[in-house]
Amino acid sequence: MNAAAEAVKQDSDRSLAELVLGGDEDAFRLLYRRHSPRLYLLVLRLLGGAEADAEDVVQETWLKATERLNTFRWEASFGSWLSAIGLNVARELLRRRGKREEQWTEETEIAGPAPRDKVDPLDLERAIRGLPQGYRTVLLLHDVEGYRHEEIAERLGITSGTSKSQLFHARRAMRAALGGYGKDDAHD
Amino acid sequence: MTDERDEAPQDELSPGERRAFEALPREADLPPELEERTVAMLRRAGHLPTPITVSRRSGGQTGRTWWIAGAIAATLAVFASGIAIGQYLGMRNATVLAFVSAHNATEAADRVQRTGDRYVQALASLSNLPATTDIVARNKARETAMAVLGAAAEEIAHLAPDDPLAAAVMRGLNERSRRQGPEAPSSRSVIWY
Repeated sequence: MNAAAEAVKQDSDRSLAELVLGGDEDAFRLLYRRHSPRLYLLVLRLLGGAEADAEDVVQETWLKATERLNTFRWEASFGSWLSAIGLNVARELLRRRGKREEQWTEETEIAGPAPRDKVDPLDLERAIRGLPQGYRTVLLLHDVEGYRHEEIAERLGITSGTSKSQLFHARRAMRAALGGYGKDDAHD
Repeated sequence: MTDERDEAPQDELSPGERRAFEALPREADLPPELEERTVAMLRRAGHLPTPITVSRRSGGQTGRTWWIAGAIAATLAVFASGIAIGQYLGMRNATVLAFVSAHNATEAADRVQRTGDRYVQALASLSNLPATTDIVARNKARETAMAVLGAAAEEIAHLAPDDPLAAAVMRGLNERSRRQGPEAPSSRSVIWY
């Protein structure tokens, strides 16, 4: 999206948000329909494909976003802000479920297959879903959503170096999983 | 979110992997009921207003319209009956009170239904007559019908002060009387049976 289109969209989001603050349900529904498809898929991936949990997270995310809407300063895009809330809600849910995010140190060494020349997106989706939670989060934010390590570090409350390390190991684990799919499904 | 990704230099994505990542969808179809659930949650939390729901037996707006029309017709009939009895006894108010107090609610509602139907049927008969039929009598009947309509609207306004339709009928009839001027027969003054 170019800057002008982004500006137009941003302005529209802001106008809608101001209406939502006044209790305008139609404005809320427009905002919801504009941003929820992306939010839903992000949290669905973060949660490893658990649809019911993803729906709960989307609901909770909109509730928190609406509660905090009057404090949003519009320095970032609304969608990015919403995704950040969704990420926190999803991680909180996982914490309540007792799923610890694996943390790897720079010294951790794992062997992994080499990068692959051909990857089926469906296999990739399955491989991401099967990753440990910590890997999956960083891989999704970096390689799917396009965040930089500094942004990931800020959102997850970790250092940039930890984010890089997590991504390194996440990609290796992803390739290992893809190797398994390749053998089973003969995609490669 | 930027193109300047700070990749770990020892672990670049291969072109094939990058293409696969880029091919992943970024949006998904939402579960159809999720929007309503989310809106309901926001209503419960007080962030969105809760719509006022009106209990209806069936038919939505159409049902409501017919209910109002029926109520007007029924009230017209009640009022007409009261006027008739009042004229007979020469004591309009006392007769109306006697009518109301002499019957229980079920009987009164039944009478409203039957006389309302008859009033509407009478109007339908009048409107179905050829336009050339006894114009004087036809106009007189029409004036009477309008007078009863106005009186009924007034009674409905007493029953339900916030009813917008009754208020609109009264405004319309008043406007009609005003436009016809003082020479025209008052729609409120002619009660003719």
